[in-house]
Amino acid sequence: MIEVKGLFKGFGDKVVLHDIDAVFGTGQCNMIIGKSGSGKTVLLKNLIGLFEPDRGDILYDGDSLVAMDEGRRKLLHQNIGVLFQGSALFDFATVIENVMFPMNFFTDWSVAQKRERAEFCLEKVNIVGSNDKYPSELSGGMQKRVGIARALALSPKYLFCDEPNSGLDPYTSILIDKLISDLTKEFNITTVINTHDMNSMLEIGDNICFIDSGTIAWKGDRHSILDTDCASLKEFICANTLARNIMEGQGR
Amino acid sequence: MIKTAIEKVGEYFLFLRKVFSRPENARLYWKQFILETDKLIISSILIVAVISIFIGGVLAIQTASNLENPFIDKMYVGYMVRESLILEFCSTMVALILAGKMGSNIASELGSMRITEQIDAMDMMGVNSAAFLVQPKIIAATLLSPLLMMLSFILGLIGGYIVVDFTGIIRTASYIEGIKYSFNGFYIVYSCFKTALFCFLISSISSFEGYYAGGGSLGVGRSSTRAIVAASILILMFDLIVTEVMLY
Repeated sequence: MIEVKGLFKGFGDKVVLHDIDAVFGTGQCNMIIGKSGSGKTVLLKNLIGLFEPDRGDILYDGDSLVAMDEGRRKLLHQNIGVLFQGSALFDFATVIENVMFPMNFFTDWSVAQKRERAEFCLEKVNIVGSNDKYPSELSGGMQKRVGIARALALSPKYLFCDEPNSGLDPYTSILIDKLISDLTKEFNITTVINTHDMNSMLEIGDNICFIDSGTIAWKGDRHSILDTDCASLKEFICANTLARNIMEGQGR
Repeated sequence: MIKTAIEKVGEYFLFLRKVFSRPENARLYWKQFILETDKLIISSILIVAVISIFIGGVLAIQTASNLENPFIDKMYVGYMVRESLILEFCSTMVALILAGKMGSNIASELGSMRITEQIDAMDMMGVNSAAFLVQPKIIAATLLSPLLMMLSFILGLIGGYIVVDFTGIIRTASYIEGIKYSFNGFYIVYSCFKTALFCFLISSISSFEGYYAGGGSLGVGRSSTRAIVAASILILMFDLIVTEVMLY
């Protein structure tokens, strides 16, 4: 479980995040949603330690990220898997080498054991027969799946996904969503997904935080999101024609 | 502007501290060192060889055309070619060429990795990305570049010989005699040291610029340009300092 308590973050005079309180549960797909520029990426980068909060705290199963020294942070990072928006696969490595990369650093397994684990992770994300391809030879959807396999390589307790569907067609997006959701449940991972994709929210959003102007304007789940009274969230949802039609059809 | 420059120098030294921290896995760093040796040193052999042969030839012609006085022995052409090559060309000129080739390679590679979040991905795994990506580059460039200098020196002398032999501006025997005349072995040490220092500057500055690149592909281009300009200026500055310290 990850808890965010009274988090503030700004750049110069501009306050981007203002008094954020949130809880991201284990075994759930936790979503941070909001318009572009609302502060959701800044929140995600604070959560994974790429930015330092100005005030407030982030607790990983009770341990404060802010208070951790570099050594403990490194240990924590070995329990974190991150899927970046552009997949961030290493250009210099093949698919299998990408997945084995964290194992090379943090395990003393034999090459055969690492390869076996990498193949298991790749099989989980339905990538078979592409072990020796380089990232540039893969489609966007395949790159995302390899990115997920790499994030799972060390059996992380926490998985962060930054806009996992960006640049993908609707069919592949749904496959990626289902995959993330299934893996979250199967391995009991605390997954935090940063997205503005309505389909994802309605498909797999177990716990949703809507950020507006740097603060959490609404919390709920995929079942309650369409019943919201929050005006800014309604405006955000109704920008999507499908969701608007559903809401109008249901008289909301 | 002075404040910005001081801040930049401070950031550079903090970056170096991060780069030279203890490797997480020495075997992986060794593998990376071999790859970087191939990319930075072995791939530079051709350009260094071609330039050295031609410059050796040009130096022979220029020196011969300036030594037309019949009272000066023609063997001094060989002597002057050797001294010019070892004292300045093989270290400073080769370093300036490598600043372009090696510097742009390093800065653009790391810059691209930065803007595509590959460096962030490494950091998020708990890997010291600066050490893993940069340390092998700096060590390969610094330790092995003197070999390029030696290669350049030998090929420069051969280039001079070829021109002398083909054009007949002086007798080849005189050229060979000049090459052997009054040789100071310390110049080899001096030149090797300069080359290693210059390649340390090239690799560390271009790594620093690339590692902290921002602003998309244009930013990568800008960081690459900044790296080459800064490395070239510092090479010339340190050339003066090292020459003053080691030769006087």
